[in-house]
Amino acid sequence: MSFQIPIGPQHPALKEPISLRMTVEGEVITDADIRLGYNHRGLEKLAEERTWIQNLYLTERICGICSHSHTTCYVQAVEKLMEIMPPRRGLYIRYLVSELERVHSHLLWLGVAGHEAGFDSFFMYTWRDREIVMDLLEMISGNRVHYSMNTIGGVRRDLDEGQKAKILEGIVTLRKRSEYYFGIGANEPSFVARIAGVGMLTKQQAIDLCAVGPVARASGVARDVRKEDPYAVYDELDFNICTSDSCDVLGRVVVRVLELLQSYNMIEQMVKGLPDGDIVVKAPRKVKPGEAFSRYEAPRGENVHYVKSNGSDKPERLKVRAPTLGNYPATLVMLRKGFIADIPLIFAAIDPCICCAERAVTLINGRSGEESVVTMSDLRRQALARSKNAPVKGKAVWPF
Amino acid sequence: MSDIEIVESLKRDLGEKALELTNPDRRRVFLKVAAPELVPTVTLLRDHYDSTHLSTISGVDKGETFELLYHFASLAASITVRTEIPRAEPRIASICAVIPGAVLYEREIQEMFGVTVEGVPDTRRLNLPDDWPDGQYPLRKDWKHVRPAEVIPGGKS
Repeated sequence: MSFQIPIGPQHPALKEPISLRMTVEGEVITDADIRLGYNHRGLEKLAEERTWIQNLYLTERICGICSHSHTTCYVQAVEKLMEIMPPRRGLYIRYLVSELERVHSHLLWLGVAGHEAGFDSFFMYTWRDREIVMDLLEMISGNRVHYSMNTIGGVRRDLDEGQKAKILEGIVTLRKRSEYYFGIGANEPSFVARIAGVGMLTKQQAIDLCAVGPVARASGVARDVRKEDPYAVYDELDFNICTSDSCDVLGRVVVRVLELLQSYNMIEQMVKGLPDGDIVVKAPRKVKPGEAFSRYEAPRGENVHYVKSNGSDKPERLKVRAPTLGNYPATLVMLRKGFIADIPLIFAAIDPCICCAERAVTLINGRSGEESVVTMSDLRRQALARSKNAPVKGKAVWPF
Repeated sequence: MSDIEIVESLKRDLGEKALELTNPDRRRVFLKVAAPELVPTVTLLRDHYDSTHLSTISGVDKGETFELLYHFASLAASITVRTEIPRAEPRIASICAVIPGAVLYEREIQEMFGVTVEGVPDTRRLNLPDDWPDGQYPLRKDWKHVRPAEVIPGGKS
């Protein structure tokens, strides 16, 4: 007998709003379905009514973790349309922030993976270390989340010698700690036993389903936009594509840890080889008609922006495809034949990036299989009615 | 293969079917084909040009027609296949049989532009809510968002 289990849009195991519908037989998932749109904000439509500069700040707010990725992908396309080339110093600072962002995103993800696997000290260690890179980003840009470093034609803030020294200092600490965690992460037997063989995605499936980023690389597909389509400074830097052939969550952890070490190398190369000169060139207000297709390797995979201009100061069309969307078809394959207990781990392993807003939840009565849509207010009423009968907590005191 | 070799090779393979073939930038090739030629062209790209990775499908409302752009990526170049379909009869064949990963992008095109993708394995909406009215396609240029009047139960106090 098979049951359907709805997970999300609000669920304690998943921190972001997405609705997964699992058909299970016993503990085994036989089918999985995904529902999106809980965070659809109509950004592409809105972008058509904003100027080129305003859109820079709009695209920054697509995502809170890879905010710099979206603006970089957008300015790459717009600079191509405007036929301007940022100065080399500006480019180096732009992609230096990109790599710092990748470090913070991967450290965050490693913590989440440790947490979902029940290895909470790993979570606390990686998040402690993430503060080092967050402090560096705050020092460079003044902000921890939306750095606002990019502008059309370059970057908005320069680096001085003191900041360069602090970045190098931070990277030395981070590298030592990452190497240490690489050791425990890969040798802790219970952690490895929990994540090995979970969420299998074969190489052929990864290619067919157009998986991107660390998910594809953990299935042995050496696909990295930085190498494949070396934009801006990446053909001058020395780095490798990190892959793994284990095709499971363990492989995704290994790929991200290896990428951290590659990113530290790239940051050091960029800081030490930072050219002199200006950081920005003046950009025109209007763009002549044309189109540009821009690709960028975000921490989660290939990020794609397609920009079409019509000669005015606003874009005709801005199409954004964030890496997580590209990985959903692959996630459904990973979930099939897995266990219910593996859902958060598998789902977290693609490093999903969604945000929130929803007013209806679907409740399924497990015994009858009957499904009903309950509005949030009804649910709240039920919750209030239940809490009335709950043991009185009126005597609890706020401890501070 | 260099960009010029790809363009030359595509010219040979497609002949008359390639309505437009441009190379505006390094590693960017734009190819235009008629709508019925889409699936054979995509199959050709997958089998002979190593373009197994579909980055995304973009739609553009050009007034009388809708333009669909299929962005492929390979180690050699990013090839974009462009096709136009009339606004009066917006129909296009699904490429899911060739590229299984295209399903989410085709569902997005369906709901945002009102283009019927024939043969897509899953016809449900992707991002829009279930109670979204039929016949409203937000990314068409003539669609404007009207903010519904705010209703405060019990009125403003």
